Order: sequence, then C-alpha cells, then structure tokens
Amino acid sequence: MGIVLDRLPGIFEPIPGGSVLITSIDAIVNWARSNSLWPLAFGTKCCAIEMLMATGAPHQDLARFGAEVARQTPRQADLMVIAGAIVKKMALRMRLLYDQMAEPRYVMATGSCAISGGPFMYYSYSIVRGADEIVPVDVYVPGCPPRPEAFFYGLMTLQKMIRQGETIRKPGIRRKPVLAALPQGITMDDLRVEQREWLQRDNTVDMAKAAAQKTWAARLEQWVPKNSNNL
Amino acid sequence: MGSKIGTMGTEELEQLVITLEPRCRKRQSADRAAVIAPVAELDSLMRKLRDEHLLSFDLLLDHTAIDHIQEGRFELVYLLYSTRHGHHLMVTCDVDRANPVVPTVSEVWPIAHWQEREVFDLFGIGYDGHLDLRRVFLEDDWKGYPLRKDYTDPDMLEPA
Repeated sequence: MGIVLDRLPGIFEPIPGGSVLITSIDAIVNWARSNSLWPLAFGTKCCAIEMLMATGAPHQDLARFGAEVARQTPRQADLMVIAGAIVKKMALRMRLLYDQMAEPRYVMATGSCAISGGPFMYYSYSIVRGADEIVPVDVYVPGCPPRPEAFFYGLMTLQKMIRQGETIRKPGIRRKPVLAALPQGITMDDLRVEQREWLQRDNTVDMAKAAAQKTWAARLEQWVPKNSNNL
Repeated sequence: MGSKIGTMGTEELEQLVITLEPRCRKRQSADRAAVIAPVAELDSLMRKLRDEHLLSFDLLLDHTAIDHIQEGRFELVYLLYSTRHGHHLMVTCDVDRANPVVPTVSEVWPIAHWQEREVFDLFGIGYDGHLDLRRVFLEDDWKGYPLRKDYTDPDMLEPA
C-alpha cells in the first residue's frame, strides 16, 4: 500500500492516460478507506455511552458502515471519535493519541462539549473549549448527546468526504470543515462591537426617506377619492 | 431519610452524639441528624462515632467542603452511614479560612484517603496526618484551588 500511495502518482502522472489511472486508483483507495474506518476506543464523557456503546451494539449496528472494529491502540485506529468534554489534563494525552495514529487519520467531534465546551463554556477552570483547539476535526456532530442517527449521519458525511475530497496525488490534503472556535485574534468583544455597529446602522432611520420608500403609502392616493366630501 | 428507618430517631441520635462529646452542637438547618464539631475534637469524635456500639458509623459516604468566604471560614462536611443500624449522620466542622488545617480521618475510615485528597485538590484544606496529600484530579503543578470562591483563572470565561 505504501508503494502504491507514495510512488505511483509520480510514475504514472507523466504517462499519457496516467492521470485517469490515478483517478481510478483514488476511487478504489478511498472506497476502501471510507468503508473500514476503525474507531479508537476512546470516550471521555457521557457521549461515549451513546457514540461507542449504543451505536456499537446490535440494535444500531455500527458494523453496517465497516466501523465496528474498535481498536484499543491508536496505532491500529483510523478514526478518533471525541465523545465528551476534554479537560486540560486530558488534552495532552489526547494529542499524544492523535499523534500516534497512522495517516490518514480522521477525527469526529460529537456533542456540545467536544464542539465548543457546551454547558461548561462559562466559569470552567478545566474544560477545553472545543476539541478543535487541540486536534484538527473533520466532522462535527451536534447534540447533547447526539442520537445514534446523528452519529451515523456524521459517519456517512465523513465517508462522503473521504470518497470525494481526497486523492493520492496530494496525500493529507482534505476539505476542511468550518471551525467552531473563533479565529485567532478575534475575541467576543470584537464581535460585539461589530454587531453593535450593524444594529446602529440598521436602526438609524431617515424618516423622510423611509416614508418615501413605503410603496403602500404612495398608493393611498389612488384609493382615496380626490374630490370626496365625506372626509 | 435513613435516620427514620433506623432504630434511632433524629433527636435521639443527635442527643447521644452530644452526650459522647459535649462540645458538639446541634446543627439547625439539616435534613437529617447533624452536629457541628470543633476542630480540636474532630478526631476523637470520629473515633467514638465509629467505635460506639449504638452508633457504629462504619461508612464515610462523602466528604466535602463549603467555602463561606464572607464569614472567613470553610465548612467541612462528613456524611456518615451505619450499615448495621441504617442511620445517617452529618458532621460539620468550621475551620479558619486563612489557615485551614484539620486532623485527618483517614485512620478512622481508609476511604477518606481519597476524599481528603480531593478536598485538598479543590479547596486547599490541609489534613494533618494524611500519608499522601497530593493533588488527585488536577495536574501536579496547578496553581490555586479552583472551588474556592476567590479563585480566578485566565481561561474562565464569564458571560457579559
């Protein structure tokens, strides 16, 4: 597999018709990867009950998606499901687990806590506000906790991302999702100031202009008879 | 409450404890039998509570603390249960906020090893005689005690 992925693009690309072949290889590789996402047995809070235990059980049957083989070691796992809040003490360990996983590795953040800190957003001294502060996250599954159906939707989204968004020409490049955390350098205060400016701009009204813009008012003249004596 | 299904009523239980240790007082607002013990008598009281035949509190259900920052004191709370008699008792103990040191009860109930480490971790109460008083949940190099009311942290967000 290593030879296929590392050498083939360089060999085939210059040959006429080679890029078609690479595209076919892409399809096969991505099909295989997306249908054998082995999750890491890693649960930090109550979402783990829903995500890894309920979905892995026969009623929900995670095996339909080829993702039932929960691995106890990060070296054999492809998918890290961050199920629950990450505390500061856990953050280093989680980063270590992520670094130990083999490429390509995928991360799903399930539940409010893993997305943004959730109910622990304020006044918490230990919760990391969003797992994407520590590792790059591919798919976010909202909920508190999400239902298994939501988890499956997230898993299918990830499979779709793998099938469509990757190529062996550029290993490691994939479509990034929208980040939940604020971008670097922007604080809530900046957003508030900007929002206040919008609100002030929207609520500053030129009365004459506003009155002129009322099309219904212009039509009033048509409705009221000009030489009516009844008024 | 559990004190009702036991052989002893709440009043009777409190009275017996105060007879054993006269410097204890009844705690007014509580949903079960509750006494306030001075720090100096805490160790001897706890040993008596465990060993006295009529009481035999053999289980320390929970140990925690309350930070009364306005009054400058910590209130330590010990929840006791007797598996023999089926009655509960709450023992509270006021300790000075500036220098919070109390005798350990880990020699009376070994489970208190962990519970006292937790209270030390989050409130910074010192336990005199504890064998291994280290942080248990937070990292070893953590600064401050997060459940104190005056604790501040740069990462603590506050809603505007």
